[in-house]
Amino acid sequence: MTDLSSRRDFVASSSTLVGGAWLAFHLPAVQAAAAHARRALARRAPFEILTPEEAKELEAVAAQIIPTDDTPGAREAGVVYFMDQALGTFGGQFLQPIRGGLPDLLKAARAKNPAVRSFAELSFEQQTDVLRGMEHTPFFGAVRFLTVAGMFGDPSYGGNQDQVGWKLIGFDGGHAHQPPFGYYDANARPE
Amino acid sequence: MPAQSSAAPAGGARFQTRTEVDFVVIGSGAAGGVLAKELSTAGFSVVVLEQGPYLRPSQFRHDELGGFFNFDLLPKPSDFPTTFRKTEKDEATVQAFPPSVLYAKLVGGSSVHFTANYWRFRPIDFVERSRIGPIEGTGFADWPITYPELEPYYTKVDWEVGVSGAPGPGDPFRSRPYPLPPLPVKSSGVLLEQGARKLGLHAVPAPMAILSRPHNNRASCIHCGFCMFFGCEVGAKSSSLASMIPLAEATGRCEIRPESTVFRIETNAAGRVTQVLYWDQDGKEQAQRAKAVVVSANGAETARLLLLSESSRFPGGLANSSGTVGKYLMLNGYCTAYGYFEHPLNEYKSVQVTRVIMDHYDTDPGRGCYGGGGIDARFDMYPVLFGLGGLPGDAPQWGPEYKRMLAEYYTHTMAVAGHSTSLPLLSNSISLDPKVKDKYGRPALRLTYQDHPDDLKILRFFQGRCKELLDAAGAKRVWANPVQEQNVAVHLLGTCRMGDHPAESVVDKYHRAHDVRNLFICDGSSFVTSGRGQPTMTIQALAFRAADHIVQFARRGEI
Repeated sequence: MTDLSSRRDFVASSSTLVGGAWLAFHLPAVQAAAAHARRALARRAPFEILTPEEAKELEAVAAQIIPTDDTPGAREAGVVYFMDQALGTFGGQFLQPIRGGLPDLLKAARAKNPAVRSFAELSFEQQTDVLRGMEHTPFFGAVRFLTVAGMFGDPSYGGNQDQVGWKLIGFDGGHAHQPPFGYYDANARPE
Repeated sequence: MPAQSSAAPAGGARFQTRTEVDFVVIGSGAAGGVLAKELSTAGFSVVVLEQGPYLRPSQFRHDELGGFFNFDLLPKPSDFPTTFRKTEKDEATVQAFPPSVLYAKLVGGSSVHFTANYWRFRPIDFVERSRIGPIEGTGFADWPITYPELEPYYTKVDWEVGVSGAPGPGDPFRSRPYPLPPLPVKSSGVLLEQGARKLGLHAVPAPMAILSRPHNNRASCIHCGFCMFFGCEVGAKSSSLASMIPLAEATGRCEIRPESTVFRIETNAAGRVTQVLYWDQDGKEQAQRAKAVVVSANGAETARLLLLSESSRFPGGLANSSGTVGKYLMLNGYCTAYGYFEHPLNEYKSVQVTRVIMDHYDTDPGRGCYGGGGIDARFDMYPVLFGLGGLPGDAPQWGPEYKRMLAEYYTHTMAVAGHSTSLPLLSNSISLDPKVKDKYGRPALRLTYQDHPDDLKILRFFQGRCKELLDAAGAKRVWANPVQEQNVAVHLLGTCRMGDHPAESVVDKYHRAHDVRNLFICDGSSFVTSGRGQPTMTIQALAFRAADHIVQFARRGEI
């Protein structure tokens, strides 16, 4: 029972940042979802929940949240595959805010450039502008949560492919370590 | 998700429910594990009823999504909802996230997924009321036992459960050295030492219930970094599952019966406990007969079970003639500040905490409030948690700069945390929710909690110290979340408090219920005061001491 209280910090940050979207009370078999994701990836199965159009839009939003630059981003991590699996299983409660928000996303995209048929067709800079206006919507909260979870969660869930999320932040996915662990303990002078 | 539980593991005794065993122990966590081991070793027959599954170390995974978001080791909130209200005037509601009461539900209880900070209480904790006087509007009281009475049992925990550490200045008396040297210091520990030196404070090795060397036929820590919220796959964390349960089963007199959810303790016309009713793994009702019962179900579930066991002889709940079952709940205060440093710390490796500061332990009138506590250097963010909320509050939350900062900050960030006192208030409680039910139809656990103003004041004091320490340690940047009122119960303390007077407490100094001769209650619920933030060491010392006395009572025919 000792000292799980730092969960409170996590809880404080996640519940505000997710916009209350992660109402994770009816989460069945995450494990089953992970196995399913692996199988789907292995046979390059089409999306289960998302239409190709929806997947394209969500991938574009995810690529705004964690963009591709000189290192891989959400796109290379396969976050959209994670999202598809999550929405069909343990993250089903996100489907409503996401489906509810996609029309608004398109509307905002067309307001920016009437010629486009999707958010994904906008330039990167235009996409950024559009999302700045949607930062506090349940839609954006849900996509951000799933993007972060798909980028940095265990690769068995379909995201974080080749551990690109972990490599980005310097998290060594190994299951055992030896001291010294960091610069300061390596360089500590005995008193 | 851990694999399927093995409901009938090898090893241990097997008893028929019709057989009247010497003891039923309800709960297999920090206290229940110790009691099961001690009572069975002393020659008594014991059945441990545990509501959760019996998992093996090899079934524990480093799966952050499963651990934090699928409640792999916890009661599923969909099946076992909990409610919260601030005061008795409010209507309690189910909080969206997280559950209002958090504990682990498996053989070994919350000791399986805890962080394993093993601070002893100090002599002052037991007699503080006498030292500083009453605090109006609170149930602030002395314990009926003292540190010297408990010390031999702290030492038993050190050696039998397995604690690593080294003595520091101001430590309370110990009758035997630590059995194991401290775990290797991390960068956060080195930096805390540097900050402390500049401020005239003392950072010392953290006492941890994690093996730095092989001990009692158990392997030592491999520094995987997945302590908080995860089970230890090598058994180096000194959970009851790793340390006590195997010894209990090896006696051949103890049966661990997992997936057994107790819902009622039954008594006879003489007011004695006769049997315990529970739902087995198939949801079928069972009754286990016993000569005596020990309740160690944690400070929330112990209270709920007693309240649910009311009868015409025990109106308002079993062992509740005082009306204090479920009352005086204390959660401990907790605050953190974060620091970003120039060089990599890689704090995700190894145990969460390696250095602590105890210079602010005692109440100091100069602070203008009751309370004290300890400080530790730590890191508690796995990758998803860090991505969600690990950056400073004013950092971008998405986009190129967000990505750049995540890459830069994850390995360069540490936290300094303050852990502090909670005053016992009659109005803070665990009770039965009148509306919300769990999947068995039992009233949900209802948390009623509002921090005493002094509890918040001392937390703000500690947050200031945490920031100072990070600055003094040379952090390039320091930030903190504001101190907030608590609405989630993690440390579950005080709900069946110990005392000499049956009108004011639930158990006597030997953990025997004042009202029921063959009923014992021992877990965090026994606490009279909250201590300074790390209760499990004391829960286990109390359990060893309770077992000693219960064995003597049983041998003398005094149960």
